[in-house]
Amino acid sequence: MNNTKLTVSHAPFWHDGDSLFQKNLNYMLALLPAAIFGILQFGAPALGVMALSLSCAMLWELVINRISKKPATIGDLEAAVIGLLFGMMLPAITPWWIIVVGTFVAVFIGKMIFGGIGGSPFNPTLIGMAVLMMSWYMFFDFDTAYVDYEFAFTALAPLAAVKAQGAAAADMFALGDLLMGREVGAIGATFGLGLIIGGIYLILRGYARWELAVSFIAGILVTAFLFHAASPDAYAGPLFHLLSGYTLLGAFFLITESASSPVNRIPMLIYGFLGGFMIILMRNVGAYADGTILAILLVNVVSPLLDNIRPNALGKGMNNA
Amino acid sequence: MREMISMIVVLTLLASVSGGLLAAVKSGTEVRIEEQILQFQKAPAIESLFTDVTNDPLKERFNLETEGGTLQMFPGKLQDGSKAVAFETFGKGGYGGDIGLMVAINLDSDQLVGARVTTHAETPGLGSRAKDDLTFVSQFNNKPVDANLALKADNGSIDAISGATVTARAVTRAAILAQELYSQLKPEILKQIQ
Amino acid sequence: MAQSLAKEFTKGLWAEIPPFRLVLGLCPTLAVTKTVENGIGMGLATTFVLVFSNLLISILRNAIPPKVRIACYIVIIATFVTIVELVMQAFTYPLFLTLGIFIPLIVVNCIVLGRAEAFASKNTPVLAVADGLGIGIGFTLSLASLGAVRELIGAGTITIWGGNPVFAVGDWYHPFSFMVEAPGAFVALGLMLACMNLIGKK
Repeated sequence: MNNTKLTVSHAPFWHDGDSLFQKNLNYMLALLPAAIFGILQFGAPALGVMALSLSCAMLWELVINRISKKPATIGDLEAAVIGLLFGMMLPAITPWWIIVVGTFVAVFIGKMIFGGIGGSPFNPTLIGMAVLMMSWYMFFDFDTAYVDYEFAFTALAPLAAVKAQGAAAADMFALGDLLMGREVGAIGATFGLGLIIGGIYLILRGYARWELAVSFIAGILVTAFLFHAASPDAYAGPLFHLLSGYTLLGAFFLITESASSPVNRIPMLIYGFLGGFMIILMRNVGAYADGTILAILLVNVVSPLLDNIRPNALGKGMNNA
Repeated sequence: MREMISMIVVLTLLASVSGGLLAAVKSGTEVRIEEQILQFQKAPAIESLFTDVTNDPLKERFNLETEGGTLQMFPGKLQDGSKAVAFETFGKGGYGGDIGLMVAINLDSDQLVGARVTTHAETPGLGSRAKDDLTFVSQFNNKPVDANLALKADNGSIDAISGATVTARAVTRAAILAQELYSQLKPEILKQIQ
Repeated sequence: MAQSLAKEFTKGLWAEIPPFRLVLGLCPTLAVTKTVENGIGMGLATTFVLVFSNLLISILRNAIPPKVRIACYIVIIATFVTIVELVMQAFTYPLFLTLGIFIPLIVVNCIVLGRAEAFASKNTPVLAVADGLGIGIGFTLSLASLGAVRELIGAGTITIWGGNPVFAVGDWYHPFSFMVEAPGAFVALGLMLACMNLIGKK
């Protein structure tokens, strides 16, 4: 008798023969259109923020590798993706020390503490963002951040405007403008078209799961539509919600993070939908202007529970077989 | 059987000794605790309500008997010579229990001087704004005693605190209670102040 | 005798320091350590309860019937906790207000009941007092150090007693207020536990 016990490790499971390096390189490639647009729109400071964020994230990972006497893992570019995403979620004039602390929280508390890659129960980037927003929310107000800039469009953060002035404020922002990035927001979150192109590229290459992105977007559209239909004066329409704030970044790059999301198809669909539902709930009922970060963190918690919904194992027809 | 008796005896003895000890400590600290509550909870509220009184409201305090128990009254002489009185009421149904509200009323004009939250256990950052952010309680300033002090949502005249309607409603309950008490007690208050 | 007395006292300061080594009493550890002052106040209150309940339980250890021992311990502990509560209310009222519900909750603090059951009920009064004092001071030190880390990073100040900071970093510092919020307590405690284990390993 062979009594070898096989231990099933946790997510992620799927594999297409690529190395982590290739996967993360493709992630960064997919993020590039939105990032470059951010630099064009907000100028050199945006480049500075993203460069510092990316390099800090990698540096922190290297430091932690050294302290814990483990082989250096920055070569797989996971930290670089965290850093780049983190930088893209900040306003262009973020002070340097916020980025240094934020990437530390994201890489150390969000990822390395749980054993590095694949172990994090939460999306590391979002942990960093949530902690920073709790401490220094005044630096994340996009209206005051860009006070020195001159824009050729409405210089108001769409979601904050809707939160403060009601759904009528949504009419100030043409949907085409939101799609083409003619809005005030985080460096890499304004250019909706670029994010969509990058996201579709990732999905086609198989790096991001379409189930997550599609059900997430469906969750947003359906919930926002219901709110809008119930009271058009109080709640903005579904497409406005989809194209403003961090939503598109969340749909293609944040909720699809493989370590913290479920692995089976039905759980993935529920997970994504729940994320989208929570975002709209937070925006329309809750106190936050943009609930993307907290909503995704919240569904991260549900992810292991959802993975209990799984297909029956083959050949397991009877008990104690 | 012997074990049973010993169990009962030991537990009874322990409980009664403990009860006696606690009663002694309680009566020993009672006066001081009352002073401390006065100093740390009521005094700041009274001081911020009576900013320019010519007397010492804390020293001149007196007690009035009401149906709900003893009520401490803090009389104040305002700059323009009119008399006022402050006392604390509790509004039921806050998010974290009752909310204490110190209400000051001008006896000559029958107008509220103002109101301040004294004790609460509300959520920090949301309900706690009732105490920390004076824009909400300053709505009570100079309202006549017969004004409707309920929330606007309850057909009254007070704006709620955004995100903390439950807290705001409990505060208005305390204010309404203060109005009732005042109209009942006014003759007695005047008698005491003379 | 003197040697074992010293041993019982010092074990609470390092080898069995409650929140870090025994990982006991985490509820007050996480909840009240927003400032050093809160940590010290909570720690001293717990120390008082520990010393006197240990002493009394040790004296009565032969009189207490084993079947109702837990009930007896709870009566004794609850008595001292109520005394602490009343005394704090009378003399350190602002501290009493900030610690709030966590003072009465000392009754169910597993450190106190744990020492009563594991140590005081089996040892002489002198040893029991030494044990209670050691564990209590160890608890106070851990709460104060956790409070110091959280307050320094989260508010940029150090408040030891009386509500006024004895040290403030300055206006240039933007407080990392995450650390004084509830989730910051978990992160700070986790990191300190990790550091303790790192030191203990070597």
